[in-house]
Amino acid sequence: MPSYDANLRTLYSDHHGWLNGWLRSKLGNAADAADLAQDTFVRLLNRSALPELKAPRGFLRTVARGLVIDHWRREELERAYLEALSQLPEHETPSPESRELVFELLESIARMLDGLKPTVRRAFLLAQCEGMPYKQIADHMGISLRSVERHVADALYHCYLLKYAT
Amino acid sequence: MNQANLVDQPQPSPVVVRQAIEWMMRLHSNAASPRVRQRCEQWRAAHPDHECAWQRVLSLNADLHSRFQALPASGAAFDALETSAQRLGRRQTLKLLSGLLAAASGAYLAKDLAPWQQWTADFSTQVGQRSGFVLADGTRLQLNTDSAVDQNFSARQRLIKLSKGEILITCGADAQSTTPRPLLVSCKLGMVEGLAARFVVRQADAHTRLSVMEGRVLIHSPDSSLLTVHAGQSYSISGQRVERLSELDMDPGAWADGLIVSRNMRLGDFIAEVARYRRGHVGCDQDVAQLRLSGVFRLEDTDKLLAILPQTLPVRLKYRTRWWVTLQRNV
Repeated sequence: MPSYDANLRTLYSDHHGWLNGWLRSKLGNAADAADLAQDTFVRLLNRSALPELKAPRGFLRTVARGLVIDHWRREELERAYLEALSQLPEHETPSPESRELVFELLESIARMLDGLKPTVRRAFLLAQCEGMPYKQIADHMGISLRSVERHVADALYHCYLLKYAT
Repeated sequence: MNQANLVDQPQPSPVVVRQAIEWMMRLHSNAASPRVRQRCEQWRAAHPDHECAWQRVLSLNADLHSRFQALPASGAAFDALETSAQRLGRRQTLKLLSGLLAAASGAYLAKDLAPWQQWTADFSTQVGQRSGFVLADGTRLQLNTDSAVDQNFSARQRLIKLSKGEILITCGADAQSTTPRPLLVSCKLGMVEGLAARFVVRQADAHTRLSVMEGRVLIHSPDSSLLTVHAGQSYSISGQRVERLSELDMDPGAWADGLIVSRNMRLGDFIAEVARYRRGHVGCDQDVAQLRLSGVFRLEDTDKLLAILPQTLPVRLKYRTRWWVTLQRNV
């Protein structure tokens, strides 16, 4: 722990300011940038080992970039969810508490599906969220039944790897 | 019971996993066809990897099902997920994050956060959180900070899988079961069996630590031999290597009462222990790491806990930010 500690402290004192600036240029917002810079270091602390760093800024950028995408994903999801809710008739609008729970669930699903091709994701979501039969998905998306099955299988495989690959 | 399989799960090849997925989809679309069902069973029986992949795919499917079932059925969930994913895709392209880098960081994060561990574990706690549960057989399960546990009870055994963190188990009588079912705790590097015992299993990076408070616990070795651990004893387990630990520098079960009870503990080790309960960073300089401390510390508020240290040791706290604390020698 001590030597790892020292590495990280050096990384922090040498590059924290730079990272802050880089994030501000991406996010256009100083408060979010400061939060994400902090999160970036916290993320590194939670890792069991810090790899040897030949290019510390490149490394930090890679970690921070992931957090920026997480941040955007949350923003976009929040916006899209509120839009979707505003389409609902009033009696179907969920309470603030269940809204919060559903949002967390949606975020974890969105994160899980990250990296899927758009058509694969769409077919999978139609099957899982809407319970749509494959034949109907095929008609809806204008693709063959076989393609729908392949897409759903691809998505399941993607989830399998997330869950079981070591 | 095949211990080797429980501890050391096979890793089915991608081809086999793909086949298992296909079989599951086929069965779902032909739920009534006995012929497909029979052929699927033949495939499962053909190789242990097939069965393993099959069970995993079923469990994955059940996870997904329960997640998606919990979403409201109004179409809002689909719209939100689909629309936001499209916009996120555009935004990433616009902001010139190349696909390669985005994918790499996504994978990096997926590993880092292990979202599945959090969400699909039957019981889990966040950093700084502790919680307790009573299972169907009467066993009491307490989770320490940042821990995740799966429960898998069958007619033959009660299996508790510790995927990360630390648990305190008080064995239940299992009075409802007609046949005796062993209570097994499996972790990355070994498996133990509780016999009317109260014990702690802690998953560290390179080993698992077992400490028994009451009763007896058996350590199952990969070579099928058993070792009995008695109350008051602690062992370190990492696969084949099983080692008796002489006196510990802290009480192994005190966390369940919200405490750290240390005996002549190195400050460096103490701080590493406190760090488990806090988000952010807490560390100490080399020149104070060797200081020793004994005492009872409340975990409830680790800021307060740290603030006590300068009263008994020649150290001071340096807060760089609220989440970044270092202990330094007080000169």
